[in-house]
Amino acid sequence: MAETRSFLFEIGTEEMPSAPLMNAVKQLPKLMCAGLDAAGLAHGEVRVVSSPRRLAVLSAVAIQTEAVHDVKRGPAANIAFDGDGNPTKAAEGFARKCGMTAAELVRREDTDGREYVFAEKDIPAAPALPLLSSICHDVIAKLEWPNYRSQRWGSTHDGFVRPIRWICALLGEEVIPVQYADVTSGNTTRGHRILGAGDHVVANPDVYEQVLESAGVLTEERRREVIAEGIKAIEDQRGGAHVDTPAKVLNEVVNLCEWPSVLVGTFDEVFLNVPHEIICESMLSNQRYFPIYDSEGNLTREFVVVGNGRPECADAIIDGNERVVRARLYDAKFFYDEDLKIPLEEFRGRLANVAFQEKLGSVLQKSERIEKLAAAIAEEAALDAQTAEDACRAAHLAKADLVSSAVIEFTSQQGVMGGYYAKAAGENDQVAAAIRDHYRPRFAGDELPQGDAGCVVAVADKLDTIVGMFAIDEPPTGSKDPFALRRSAIGVLNILRERLGCGYEALVRAALKLYAEQGLSFDEDAVACAVCSFIHGRMEQMARDEGLSADTVASVSAGSITVPTDFFCLAHALEDARANDAETFDNLATAYARANNLRNAELGSHVDESLINEVEHSLFCAVVQAEGRVERALFEGDFGGVIAELASLRKPIDLFFDRVKVMDDDAALRDNRLRLLNRFVGVFANIADFAVLGK
Amino acid sequence: MSHTVAPDAPTFQDIILTLQRYWAEQGCVVLQPYDSEVGAGTFHTATTLRSLGPKPWRTCYAQPCRRPADGRYGENPNRMQHYYQFQVLIKPSPENSQELYLDSLKAIGLDPADHDVRFVEDDWESPTLGAWGLGWEVWVDGMEVTQFTYFQQVGGIEVDPVPVEITYGLERLAMYVQNVTSVYDLVWSYLPDGTPMTYGDVFLENEREFSAYNFEVADVPMMRQKFDDYERECHSCLKAKLPLPAYDCVMKCSHAFNLLDARGALSAVERANYILRVRAVAKACCEAYLAEAAGADDSEGEVA
Repeated sequence: MAETRSFLFEIGTEEMPSAPLMNAVKQLPKLMCAGLDAAGLAHGEVRVVSSPRRLAVLSAVAIQTEAVHDVKRGPAANIAFDGDGNPTKAAEGFARKCGMTAAELVRREDTDGREYVFAEKDIPAAPALPLLSSICHDVIAKLEWPNYRSQRWGSTHDGFVRPIRWICALLGEEVIPVQYADVTSGNTTRGHRILGAGDHVVANPDVYEQVLESAGVLTEERRREVIAEGIKAIEDQRGGAHVDTPAKVLNEVVNLCEWPSVLVGTFDEVFLNVPHEIICESMLSNQRYFPIYDSEGNLTREFVVVGNGRPECADAIIDGNERVVRARLYDAKFFYDEDLKIPLEEFRGRLANVAFQEKLGSVLQKSERIEKLAAAIAEEAALDAQTAEDACRAAHLAKADLVSSAVIEFTSQQGVMGGYYAKAAGENDQVAAAIRDHYRPRFAGDELPQGDAGCVVAVADKLDTIVGMFAIDEPPTGSKDPFALRRSAIGVLNILRERLGCGYEALVRAALKLYAEQGLSFDEDAVACAVCSFIHGRMEQMARDEGLSADTVASVSAGSITVPTDFFCLAHALEDARANDAETFDNLATAYARANNLRNAELGSHVDESLINEVEHSLFCAVVQAEGRVERALFEGDFGGVIAELASLRKPIDLFFDRVKVMDDDAALRDNRLRLLNRFVGVFANIADFAVLGK
Repeated sequence: MSHTVAPDAPTFQDIILTLQRYWAEQGCVVLQPYDSEVGAGTFHTATTLRSLGPKPWRTCYAQPCRRPADGRYGENPNRMQHYYQFQVLIKPSPENSQELYLDSLKAIGLDPADHDVRFVEDDWESPTLGAWGLGWEVWVDGMEVTQFTYFQQVGGIEVDPVPVEITYGLERLAMYVQNVTSVYDLVWSYLPDGTPMTYGDVFLENEREFSAYNFEVADVPMMRQKFDDYERECHSCLKAKLPLPAYDCVMKCSHAFNLLDARGALSAVERANYILRVRAVAKACCEAYLAEAAGADDSEGEVA
């Protein structure tokens, strides 16, 4: 490799938000490597340094590109020159493409013994600095801000995620001239706003991180370490205490400071009476404080706050933060206490003024529907009378908290607050828990509702939304899914699969009927069909997502088993069986496809036993036996057994195809054999389409 | 109620006066509040309309804001239906916007060196103004005291050059500086004999009465009528190429809407509809203002 120098490129900005910053940290080395490679500049590993106010890369870069003798082979000589030895259009075209004239082309023999023209050029080494100028500029311009946007500032028209205020770009000790928006590069960085205010000279890239550290700026990795160590120390001092640091909030905290100091604040005892969910949300989401739990898992009055100020001002900083949390919790307590004065039934009445969806009426109407739907679901899932009653009661009250002050203030606590209010109003524990849980699962991997009543209400709520949107012909399309119907469908399927065990088709019908009763007009059959196929599509996706092969899923999907619990069991049984004995199933698939192709439904499947030979007889017996056993296994929910029975048909069908000529000249024999094949295919019907497996 | 405000802490009005002086020294036109009900300092013509067009502009002013639905009858120490913002707008945004702001905190006794000042992402969008910008809420020791925004679009129009808007929540800031937990305990000023005149003395009765008015008394049919009338008036002004009076009507519509909302008189669909109507006239005013008053290349004799 050519001689290299250390390279630093730092984009200095006003405070960048955490999520786009973290995204840029991923893009930056790739963009820089791509730029260097494209320019032919050799370089070492490209490393990123970031803080809320800077995005930087460090590397070693060659001081120049390698000189290159560039050779390109053109057309064969007899094509490149005419009879008189003059260059043809082909030669001229090739020369033009290579940036030279035809006269400059070289004619010689290549290793294959034929003569060609060649374009040969000496490309001299190019110094790195001018190349780096444009690479650096382009890297800034190419950074993307997915799910976010860039901005302009001052009078410039270039954009970035926040205004760029300085650029420090060095190759060795030399400044790389970079110009972007209204900023020109130099050899200075800026320190922490307080701990290292102002410009700091970076003599060369090797001292960059030292300069930052002495100016009160730590790299992301170091900040993360300091915070983790601080939290560990706090936990240790409190014997077995646990500080809750959800990843998203922690990332934000790491990117809200350049010089973290980990501090502990306290709030008043009285606020521990407020539902802990609100306290924690207020601390985590609003303030980025981490709650501290004691060794028994109880929320304590203490919290962790990560400061970015001078460590010697810790007392003032803690005091200020405590005052903020006091005001916030005061508000939360105020809302909660006020809400408790109002009966849930009164809140529910106010839902008449809250639109669910413009064409689908109010949330009150929704709550009327899901109450009735809950009854239908409880019946379909064969739940006991008490659970059914609890589910209906919970469904009746589930949406009431939407108009409570606490939920208006802390939206993500919908349901949770309703649970508290229901409990306070004397509803039983199951009802309160069902109200609390009915939005679950709220995201992939979220817990399902704790109790069966909660499961029923959750399914009712989600299904009601899904069928409603389909009924007004607004199903999700592409990236447009404002009511998160895909996620809702997955939630419904998970609950049915794991907890309630029933199917969804009858429920879809029931849900649609309730809309019709409220006066919405739509084609019930068509919508039911569309909803079922939407839900089925989600189920297939879930199956693939959990590692089932696509053809297994397609095969089972072609059958008629749609109850989620059964669908997944069957698919897994088939997948496992295929994995254990690939040969049998490949064979069976081929035979099935063959039989299926010959299948003639008009003939029916009544086999005349007097016409069959020994081989046909053994297939016939196997089929009859399998029919009975498959039916029993299905009834018992033994899907492994179902698959084993199907597999048992492999030998007799192979033998049949091997020994028997189906298309016999004798029409009676032929038709009888086709009837036998029809009957064979019939065993698979409703379970899985094996033809798909053979492809 | 006894108060514990340190005698050397700046009063509420000291803070306003200091901020005015500070930003006046940065070349801002010191304005007075817009003399009509507004929901935020941003709605002042000096911010919304002056953000448009190529001409440089610097201003600052204290603006009382009315948010009828936020009234708490004077019973909540942090929430009011009438409160103050101190608004700064500088176009084009200067290179040292943040440093200027941090120095202003120092001027009112909040030296960033002694506290933990952070710029926490908080992007701004006003559907009613067809406006958005990127920026932060500024935290002092965890307390949000300021909104700091680089406007990108106003009235659906790309702003060029880009103004920076700095909005201080005066009560919050003062509560922090004076170390009081209820807004009503803030010292607004001192009488000659040293008796404090509190925020409560000045505004508690106002909060009680207006909370009752906003939530219980405001005449719903009248407010609907008012909205319709001013919307019509706005269109007449626009027809007469008078964007400023037209915009004045938008403020009236917006306040009528806020009162209807506080009265709980609007269904969700109606509510969305009213917002759309305000947005439509606000946007039309911005376009008219740009065309009539702030357009490019008529800068002869203008102060740059």
